[in-house]
Amino acid sequence: MATIPKTQAPSWTERYPELGTGPLPVEPYISPAYFALERERIFRKVWLNVGRVEQIPKPGDYFVKDLAVCKTSVLVVRGKDGVIRAFHNMCSHRGNQLVWNTRGSCRAFTCKFHGWTYALEGALHQVTDEESFFDIEKTKLGMSPIALDSWEGFIFINVSAEPAQSLHDYLGEDFNASIAGYPFADLSGNCFSWYTDVNANWKVAHDAFAEIYHIPTLHRRMIGDVYASKTNPYAHALEFKVFGRHARVSLSANPDRQATAVETLAGRFGDVVLQQVNSDASAFPKGVNPSGYPNWSFDGLAVFPNCLIYVSQGTYLTHIFWPLAEDRCRWEIRTYAPPAENMAQRFAQEYGKCSFRDTLLEDGSTLERTQTMLMSGVKQEIYLQDQELILRHRLMVAQSYIDGRA
Amino acid sequence: MPQSYLPAAFGDLEPYLEWSLATEQLRSAKRQTSSIETLRAFYAAMMPRMDAVLAFLAGFSPQAVTDDGVTALFFMTLSLAEIAPAVENYGQPSVIDGYDVARFVAVHV
Repeated sequence: MATIPKTQAPSWTERYPELGTGPLPVEPYISPAYFALERERIFRKVWLNVGRVEQIPKPGDYFVKDLAVCKTSVLVVRGKDGVIRAFHNMCSHRGNQLVWNTRGSCRAFTCKFHGWTYALEGALHQVTDEESFFDIEKTKLGMSPIALDSWEGFIFINVSAEPAQSLHDYLGEDFNASIAGYPFADLSGNCFSWYTDVNANWKVAHDAFAEIYHIPTLHRRMIGDVYASKTNPYAHALEFKVFGRHARVSLSANPDRQATAVETLAGRFGDVVLQQVNSDASAFPKGVNPSGYPNWSFDGLAVFPNCLIYVSQGTYLTHIFWPLAEDRCRWEIRTYAPPAENMAQRFAQEYGKCSFRDTLLEDGSTLERTQTMLMSGVKQEIYLQDQELILRHRLMVAQSYIDGRA
Repeated sequence: MPQSYLPAAFGDLEPYLEWSLATEQLRSAKRQTSSIETLRAFYAAMMPRMDAVLAFLAGFSPQAVTDDGVTALFFMTLSLAEIAPAVENYGQPSVIDGYDVARFVAVHV
């Protein structure tokens, strides 16, 4: 039986000397001033994942993303030409929010206030009682565009007036190459998703899903033996890799996992979210399961600053954390799978969905408790071990943006 | 409810028709407001029949949801998926030490 290779010296963390190994400050998790810097120097500068192309398949389909952290509401729409664009969701007349619902489909956008109408591609079409205005130039009064690009079907926006780099360059050649070819489009037909507003800093929430160290303890009732095994009791990763501002972790599965009766039933009809075992990912691009381990479980991609993508056999999922204040965030979870072909498969997906949601509820309980105590000011530092590399890396990258070094 | 509402082969499950609920929100709410004994009784009734139920439901498209006995049986299996962690993992209706499920807003049904 294959065993997890013992982490060789140096540790994963020490392979990236710039990360350091010391304790890390609590301040970024609690400070209003630090939050203001994150807003200005990170979230208003970088590319942010706001959804997938499958959400708006047809011309005229749109969704609205309220991005408090960027102090705007974003309208993402597919034009008559099939091109997806993003705009500030704002009428050029006196600033009213143009679209009030979160998603829909239309032929043009009409402001509810005075009836100004905009084309799907952003141009101002029609001004109500135009003759009573004074020398307005309609060609200059379209919706204000936001930079948008897509990667593997994920829609990214960048609210800075002139993004410092393209999305492709922001993600980086090595990172792109590592996942190119994973069948995101084939797996995106059926999306189950939730969101919740949590009284915790967005990084407290992010960190809870960026390490596996907690699983054998916090999740002992649900998935305690999915990754941890007799030979790998602390569920150590197969590999960590840093790709500039992004990072990846690869996880093995426990081949001796004892599935429950309903999980066993479900497993006969489909892949259960994050609970597959013994998949070798041989059909995937070589950047997936990079160590070629026979009992691979999933790879976690940390896309800076606020997005985690977990890819596995038959399903993938994303966590996105939107800052609301230094002590509040919106946590969005989306799981993806192909559409069920029959009702038995749909039952399997439902079990995967419910057991995954319950596992997330176990995570959720730590977030506000952690935030409360960090804000007590009693302790000024937190301590990370080797397997928490992704947290340490994200904090370091964020600090480089705050310091103007990124 | 007529006695033959569920497909004839599964008429013995009719006492549990209250678990035929169309959305995750409804199924989750029923789980959270039921006793663990109620959940265990539903689980115990369904599990010995699930091989036959799933073999039967494998012949129907999940897009073909209508107001009939096949759909009712299908929704009952989704309720089984909902309550499975309560019975198999927690031994109580809610997640032990869990975040409030009512604060988790499902965007799907």
